[in-house]
Amino acid sequence: MITLTVNGEARDIAAPARTHLADALREHCGLTGTHLGCEQGVCGACTVLVDGQPMRSCLIYAHEAAGMEVTTIEGLDEDPVAAALRDAFNRHHALQCGYCTPGMMVTARDIVTRLGAVDEDRIRAELAGNLCRCTGYRGIVRAIAEVAATRPALPAPAPRPVVAAPAAPPPVAVAPAAALTNRLEHAETLALAPDAAWAILSDPARAVACLPGARLLHREGEAIAGEIRVALGPLAARFAGEGTLRFDAATRTGELRGRGAEGANAAEGEVIWRVEPDGEGSRLHLDIGWRLTGPLAQFSRPSLVRGVVAGLAADFARNLEGAARGQAPPPAPGLWSLLRRLVRGWFSRRA
Amino acid sequence: MKPVAFEHATAATLDEARALLTTGAKPMAGGQSLGPMLNLRLVRPERLVDIKRVPGLRGFTETETHLTLGAATTHAEIEDGRVPDVTNGLMRHVAGGIAYRAVRNRGTLGGSLAHADPAADWPSVMAALGATILTSGGRRLPADGFLRAPFTTALEPGEIITAVEIPRQPPGARWGYCKINRKIGEFAKAIGIATPTRLLAGAVEGPPTLLDRVEDIPARLPWLDPAAQRLAAIAVTRAQAMRDS
Repeated sequence: MITLTVNGEARDIAAPARTHLADALREHCGLTGTHLGCEQGVCGACTVLVDGQPMRSCLIYAHEAAGMEVTTIEGLDEDPVAAALRDAFNRHHALQCGYCTPGMMVTARDIVTRLGAVDEDRIRAELAGNLCRCTGYRGIVRAIAEVAATRPALPAPAPRPVVAAPAAPPPVAVAPAAALTNRLEHAETLALAPDAAWAILSDPARAVACLPGARLLHREGEAIAGEIRVALGPLAARFAGEGTLRFDAATRTGELRGRGAEGANAAEGEVIWRVEPDGEGSRLHLDIGWRLTGPLAQFSRPSLVRGVVAGLAADFARNLEGAARGQAPPPAPGLWSLLRRLVRGWFSRRA
Repeated sequence: MKPVAFEHATAATLDEARALLTTGAKPMAGGQSLGPMLNLRLVRPERLVDIKRVPGLRGFTETETHLTLGAATTHAEIEDGRVPDVTNGLMRHVAGGIAYRAVRNRGTLGGSLAHADPAADWPSVMAALGATILTSGGRRLPADGFLRAPFTTALEPGEIITAVEIPRQPPGARWGYCKINRKIGEFAKAIGIATPTRLLAGAVEGPPTLLDRVEDIPARLPWLDPAAQRLAAIAVTRAQAMRDS
């Protein structure tokens, strides 16, 4: 049982530790004016005042808020700034469906009270954390600007170095249409003759043993089933999946296509590998495509995936060389498996 | 989505934090980066240890040479100048550009460093400033090199950041900061920092990297693809121009 003050009233809430403040307000206090959009801090619909400061109620757990003062949209009825904003929102058509409005009002009130009379650019920058899908923001910005103009400006801030114009990323070349939304290519040099490398790469049991975290569970003809555990600091996932595996010995090319799932996350992808002679040794080319759906996709950071793949591929290449020399997969782990071992059981029971 | 069931524990002292941070436990300060990962079930701890009320993690001390900021100092406190600034405005400028105000009111300096997302601002800024990270294990770790890989730091299991010691910049020392992102508050695609003596490329999918010259980027950041290297070069070049303007 925790106690917090909601809109001036002490509330005892019996909720499990994983209940975030927004759910506690909605489900346990019946205050449904606080809306939930994304539950990951991006949309701003759940913004409430905690000890007078706007905060994301989806990113505070109710137990953390014990002893704090929470003000929701319902608690702003008598607030004079909120009253002026409601009037201005009404006249400037600053809402349509109303879903974002409670969070918008809390943020708007913070802009007006904290910054006073500010220009439109600043209002838009401050509103970046509150998404509205109806109005196009013009009415919201006008409403806030009107109320802000009536407030005294705060003392000028201390002088700062001249700020460079915000940089836009350079235009990105349009990638050819592909069914899989993410693609990357990677190459590793192997201290192995092409035939020696291919001997292992064309044997699924031996090849999978070289991939840190991977296990081959079943194989029948081209059909294959397995799992891979991937961990990155506190992030950890174990994907189990099945797919088809094909080899072309003439071109020393292999193809794995498959799909897998981990809880609500689903992944599908393909890996095409090719071994080419390179001086005394050989070169392993990887062409990887994947698509994620589920929460992991919402968080998708392709650039980080690139880093993970590069790390895994480097470990794979070294293990492959070891396997060709008759060594078992390494007792001394590479960087990525070392990291995995480091975080196993520390951050996540699924690691 | 809702997080997995976990136990919530509040540490009142550093010793309590140490005792609570056993296998399966995860420390949390402001929780503004960890929260989304918990809600998406990307992180599934057995116990969450709330450390932000531990005495000594807030407040600051100032000497002639350094400012020591408690790890639980929020981004908004830095943005508003509620703690002293010894960087001629660099830290206030950076703090004001982190995520959104509602996040800055809760997210902390130490939490951001310990979370070690390469796209975050503080790991790059502290490395560029030559700051030192103080830990519950009594260690002093240079901020340059603290982030070892994405979401991976030099901290030992169960060890937490208690404070950050920031060297006072000489009066009038100029700086430049350029963060490239698609939308205000989004994850950075590249960060460039210029101090009087250093250049740094950050948000580079790995450790923030000190540079002698912009031209060194391809050699120093070989893991980045060419487009990301170009973006890093643009950020560092703009930071340099801002410093020298």
